[in-house]
Order: sequence, then structure tokens, then C-alpha cells
Amino acid sequence: MSQAFVKPPPRIAAWLVDLFAPGEHAESITGDLLEEFSDLAAKSGVASARHWYWRQTMKAIAHLVSAGFRGAPWTILGTVLGGYVLLAFCGSWPERAIVSVLQFRRHHVTPYYTWPQFQAYLFWLNNGILMGRLLISMLIGCIVALAAKEREMVSTMALSCLLLLVPFGMRLVQPASHGAEEPFLQPDLVFVFGNSIMIFMGGAIVRKNRSAAARRRSSA
Amino acid sequence: MLHRDYLGEFEHIVVLALLRLGERAYGVTVRQEIETRTRREVSIGAIYATLARLAEKGYVKSRLGDPTPERGGRSKRFYQVTAKGMAAVNRTHRAFHSMSEGLHLVERYS
Repeated sequence: MSQAFVKPPPRIAAWLVDLFAPGEHAESITGDLLEEFSDLAAKSGVASARHWYWRQTMKAIAHLVSAGFRGAPWTILGTVLGGYVLLAFCGSWPERAIVSVLQFRRHHVTPYYTWPQFQAYLFWLNNGILMGRLLISMLIGCIVALAAKEREMVSTMALSCLLLLVPFGMRLVQPASHGAEEPFLQPDLVFVFGNSIMIFMGGAIVRKNRSAAARRRSSA
Repeated sequence: MLHRDYLGEFEHIVVLALLRLGERAYGVTVRQEIETRTRREVSIGAIYATLARLAEKGYVKSRLGDPTPERGGRSKRFYQVTAKGMAAVNRTHRAFHSMSEGLHLVERYS
């Protein structure tokens, strides 16, 4: 256990472990995995060690998430439901804001668009709303993570899963009841994926900031 | 006797590993000890989730070691069984012993 490690472990796996490990154990867990990875890489080769690291990461995340749920189920349920309500309430704000600004501009500033102005109008109408909604999702992810305290990733992951499950579930039920023959993967479902990822990213941002602050405090 | 006074199966194994390892008990050694003795793959996440639960119940306590270069400058967290943990492991052991007494499990099922 004393030899220095030859190669670093898989970056994404290491990032995920650091993300899901509870605050006081994050340093020990990542350190333990790195120590064993170094030993294994020296004994059985880097490829085998990387494979082991990924397997350990997946199992560790499953255990840490389930332990997080069991440790504070009401906090997680409360933050997830709160996040869902917040998203339902604020989700359309960017759309309304951008449309209002564009309408105001059209009626009061430039009633007749030139071709580049019309292209800009279309750009903001299509992409601006999308970006705004994704940003709102990330912000809500941050709020949920802040409210969940030490269980930021469990809460934001649960909210992401809920957001994915609700529209997919409704889509599964709808064709059966209405006989609709629409393609299963609608653009709004693709957007739901984006929303879920942004909520998760919001949780990750809060988590990383908290970890950095804790490290600064312990090194001071 | 309350239900919470007994250790779960994996909690029991982890506490026994801590007792076997003594001063050297931290994540890596505990995981390896359990893997070697039980011949089943154990994840570091399972070890830490169990240790956190045991610490919450007051059955184990931990202290941070010094950071080492082979761990990328990260510290080891050493674990130790408390008196309350010792009482719990004894109680669980006695319950198992009492339940299995006279069954001759090894001869019957091995």
C-alpha cells in the first residue's frame, strides 16, 4: 500500500464518488478508493484497476443514495415535492418574460423588422425560451440542494427522476386511453431530459461548493 | 430487550472486522478483511454506510489520521468499537449462539 500510484483513476468515476459521498466521509472514501486503485494497478494492470474502480463507484453510489434516503426520508420527500411545485410554478416565467420583452420591442421600439432583426426575434423566441427554462431548472436544482443540506445529490437526483417519470408515465397512459398515434419521443420529452440534467447539475454545483468550503475550513 | 439493541447481519460483520483489525481499522483494511474472510465482494460504499449507521447509534467512533501521498493527500479515517458497541456485539452473538445451540448446523448442512 505504500507505492505511489502510476495512473490516476477514471476521472468521471472519481467525480461521481466525490459528489455522492457524504461530507464527513468524502475524503476517506475517495482516499480509500485511490489507495486500493494504486495497489491494484501495480498488481494487475491499469485496465483491471479502472474496471474495479468503476464497479466500486457504481456500488458505492447505490449504497450512499439508499443510506441517504433512509437517513432523512422526510427531508428528501419535502425538498423533492417543494422543487416539483416550484418548477410547476416558475417553469413558465422565462417564456413569459422573453415573449413580453419581444412583444414590447415589436410594438414600441421596432414595429417593422429587417431580415436580421426578424432572425434575432426568432432566435430569442426559440432558443431564448429554451435556455431560460433550462436555467430556471438549474436554479431550482440549486435551491433543492441547499434545502436538502447534506443530502443534496439524493434530493436533486430524486427530483430529476420524478420529472422524467411523470411525463413518461402520462405518455404511456395517454395512448391507451385516447388512442393517440403520436411518436413516443416528442420534443417536449427530449426537453424533459434536459430539464432533469440541469436540476442534477444544480445539485452538483451546490455540492461541489460545499465540499470546497469544508476543505478550506479543515485546512485552515 | 429492544430490537435496536441487536446488530444487523452486515453491521455485525463490520464490527467483528473492526475488532480483528484493532488500531489498523479503516475503510480499505475493513473491506479487505471482510472480503478475505467471507469470500464475498464488498463495496466501500456499503462499509461507510454501515459505519455511519453504527456511529449514529454510538457503537463505533472514528478519528482522522494524517494525510498520505498514496491517497492523493487524503486522510484515513480510523474506526474503533465503543463500550456500547461491544455490549451490542456480545448481545447479538449470545442471541445467535442461543438460537443455534443444539442444531449442529455444520454437520447437517455442510
